[in-house]
Amino acid sequence: MTITDLATRIALSASLAASGVVHAYLYVDGYRGIPTIGPAFLLQGSAFCALAVLILVGGPGWLRLASAIGAAGSLVAFALSRTVGLFGFTETGWQPAPYAMISVIAEVLTILLVAATVLRRPSADRLPAT
Amino acid sequence: MSTEHDPAGMTRRQLIRHSAWFGAAVVLTVAGGEVISHIAGSADAAQTAKPALRFAQISDSHIGFNGPANPNVADTFNQAIGQINGLGFTPDFVIHTGDLTHLATPAQFDQVKQMLTDLNTPHVFTVPGEHDSTDDAGQKYRQAFGAGTRGDGWYSFDIAGVHLIGLVNTLNLKKLGHLGADQLEFIEKDVAGLPNDTPIIVFSHIPLFAMYPDWGWGTDDAAQALSYLKRFSSVTCLNGHVHQLFSKTEGNVTFYSATTTAYPLPAPGQGPAPKPMTLPAGKLHDALGIREVSYTKGQQALALKDEKLT
Repeated sequence: MTITDLATRIALSASLAASGVVHAYLYVDGYRGIPTIGPAFLLQGSAFCALAVLILVGGPGWLRLASAIGAAGSLVAFALSRTVGLFGFTETGWQPAPYAMISVIAEVLTILLVAATVLRRPSADRLPAT
Repeated sequence: MSTEHDPAGMTRRQLIRHSAWFGAAVVLTVAGGEVISHIAGSADAAQTAKPALRFAQISDSHIGFNGPANPNVADTFNQAIGQINGLGFTPDFVIHTGDLTHLATPAQFDQVKQMLTDLNTPHVFTVPGEHDSTDDAGQKYRQAFGAGTRGDGWYSFDIAGVHLIGLVNTLNLKKLGHLGADQLEFIEKDVAGLPNDTPIIVFSHIPLFAMYPDWGWGTDDAAQALSYLKRFSSVTCLNGHVHQLFSKTEGNVTFYSATTTAYPLPAPGQGPAPKPMTLPAGKLHDALGIREVSYTKGQQALALKDEKLT
């Protein structure tokens, strides 16, 4: 493993943890009272924190792919909540500040880091690790 | 252990390893969820052993409506009242956010007022809907429910450290709801002496946010009213009118539209106009319901629980 690989892994873990912790905090802070959105925040928070830990300790490549898919899903949910609504729930702009922005930045970073990992590896290395 | 490749190109050892990682992901996710729930629960236990304020919201009973969307609105309203009485606690009060009646006749006001006396609560508060003021600018409504109110029926009160404001935005309607200069002045003066950390709850019939202005689902001068509430850390606006659940946050303000006890309306923009929807047999109760609201000292957000009519 190169220093770059290790740095990427740590950065990916940190971005996942940031998004997960923000969602968990918002859940505890009051979002748990919102139907459907509350449980979704709980699931996002716990799943992202779990992925952060597993990727940090060297989990296989598909965990990174799952992270990117989860981050993309979170971004889509964010966009829906600012436009047509998500399960009847809408929010405006970057509210709640600064959590919305932290979460979006972390999720974009997650996708970019996974993309960089995939693009940088030779195709043979993209097979599941043994 | 065999390391032979299976047809998919993965050895049994690899499969076991990946299964272990997957299992770890599931276990950590569940454990993390438990920890987060526990933290939320501890916050609740510390502060919500007994909420400072618990009340129920019902809306849009449309007593007097007669159509295929709900052939017996009195019956479903009675069921809603029974459901509130069966919550397991006595609500500090019950708020009806308008359209108590369908056509604002004296008989319909008498009927709904009589039905509301069945609620097991010390207080019932109301705000008028546009159906309660169809022909007389709300006079019959105020005769029935206007005791102790100001102006055209607005009012405020304090309970358990929370300041509640009942607004009337269904008079002088053009397309959108309207509060008017007198009511705006009332709001400004009403909150002037309150500390910034006082939780504020505002009731109105028509939403104070632009839920769907094309159908009149908004209030043209709400921004002015909300500007007086900007400095407060927690502002919750509860409304009816749209016959469906919807929530939205704008800065310090959270808006919650309630469902109805009478009949559903289409989602915003679904169809040419907000006309009563006739649902398939057995589905009506899923669209109707009541709302339970609780406030705990020290928490910014109110806890809402929307329940379908049972």
